[in-house]
Amino acid sequence: MKVHLEVHDIHPVLSFQVSLLDLADITEEGVTFQSPADGKPMLLTPEESIRIQNKIGADIIMALDDVVRTTITGPRMEEAMYRTLRWIDRCIAAHERPDAQNLFGIVQGGVDPILRDICVRGLVERNLPGYAIGGLAGGEDKDSFWRVVAQCTAALPADKPRYVMGVGYPLDIVVCSALGADMYDCVYPTRTARFGTALIPEGVLKLKHNAMASDERPIDSTCTCMVCKKYTRAYLHYLVTKDPMGSQLLSYHNLSYMMRLSQNLHMSIVEGRFPQFVQGFLRIQFPKGDVPKWVCNAMEVAGIDISSCCSPIH
Amino acid sequence: MRFVVTKSCGGSSRVRVGSLLAGNPSSLLETPALLLSTKKGLPAFISPDLLATLDSPGPPLLHISPVHFLDGPSPSIISSIGGLHQMLALQSFVLVASPRDSIDSLPESIGANKLGAAFETPSGRRLVKPSDYMDMISSLKADLWASLADEVPAWVSEKRNRASVDRTLRWLDDCIALDKTGGENIFGAIVGGTSVKERQRCATEVVKRNVPGP
Repeated sequence: MKVHLEVHDIHPVLSFQVSLLDLADITEEGVTFQSPADGKPMLLTPEESIRIQNKIGADIIMALDDVVRTTITGPRMEEAMYRTLRWIDRCIAAHERPDAQNLFGIVQGGVDPILRDICVRGLVERNLPGYAIGGLAGGEDKDSFWRVVAQCTAALPADKPRYVMGVGYPLDIVVCSALGADMYDCVYPTRTARFGTALIPEGVLKLKHNAMASDERPIDSTCTCMVCKKYTRAYLHYLVTKDPMGSQLLSYHNLSYMMRLSQNLHMSIVEGRFPQFVQGFLRIQFPKGDVPKWVCNAMEVAGIDISSCCSPIH
Repeated sequence: MRFVVTKSCGGSSRVRVGSLLAGNPSSLLETPALLLSTKKGLPAFISPDLLATLDSPGPPLLHISPVHFLDGPSPSIISSIGGLHQMLALQSFVLVASPRDSIDSLPESIGANKLGAAFETPSGRRLVKPSDYMDMISSLKADLWASLADEVPAWVSEKRNRASVDRTLRWLDDCIALDKTGGENIFGAIVGGTSVKERQRCATEVVKRNVPGP
């Protein structure tokens, strides 16, 4: 069972999502899975999940949802969406600290716009403090992914936070932000660090590559993090994937990158130059102008003109 | 490097407090002192930005094993970057290089021969000759460094134990000859196992080379 717990900053945000389980038995009662501690079957009900989160005391807590892979089609998807709505009522009923802890509902429905619509309406009726867009970041094609996000952000209340779970790649974050999303979580920056991959404005830098062994430059000359101020690609090449310190240093840089991306994106909105920020971001990532079609489509819906970044062929 | 005993307790007591002047620029270190162990130059247990939070009376002393760098970066790259202090971004620390490591790349006496010492590294057993060792030492530019020793466990034969002393002394001479910094920062290694006689022989011979420290 993968239980994602994130705590960040001064306001601990705890997300408790049964995300895309490999082995789980899901019934109306709850989710039965193998306990990571002793392998015995454990039942997690909506009530139990809220009870635990009430105890942990996070500022934002998540409903227990019935989530299935977006690649699944058929009645199971519909069942999961309706069950998510039934479970949100059980979560709301079980929540003992609504004054101190904000319960976010999670929109499910796969890539089916009709199911998503029903789910959004159902959650909005419950007038929750915030909404998560779940069930994505699981291997669905990019075109379906952005359309679901766009549909949800259009239908969810404007004055409440919209949290896209499991996103993600820097490009995905820029696109989802353009579409009106507010919050994200993802293992990508640290996980990719453990595999020796650094995040840079151009995309990624694979430090295990032979060329890195004698490269005395920092990971990213525009980055002001501790790792980029102190260490060369050459030294890091010999640490990453082999020594825990390599993972630490690279994770440090990747997280700095994500924070800087987030800060720059934020400021560009505040200062009224978000389209320019997007154009700048895309130009560095796609210097030949080969911006993926799905990004172009999404930006069109988001009302952001990126024609200057796309070469005529694409 | 300079060392001065600043206080001894007299009588039959051997304990003493000393001052060690080392580093560039020079720092004054009090002894007895603890060396922090490292893996490929950086402490394994704490990230570099938190090193400064360690409660240390003077600049921390780090122990670095040159053998950790057998797989890279190469001496030429380390030199090009500017040596250990630059590469590790530990400019204000005192770095001590010696092949001693209790976890990684341990000496393997069975693999040693008259040409060099052997170490069990993560990429297999490697033979390190004095010339290889000095290539690394030159590029590392540590503040203090130990000569290459033929370390043997306590249970080897007398003959093997004697040979380890002979080799260690020969390699000390090789290291001194190949040292580009004029012998300022060498610690001569003393071996001899559990044989007091051999230890004394080794110590006496090392002292004759008049290196800054044993």
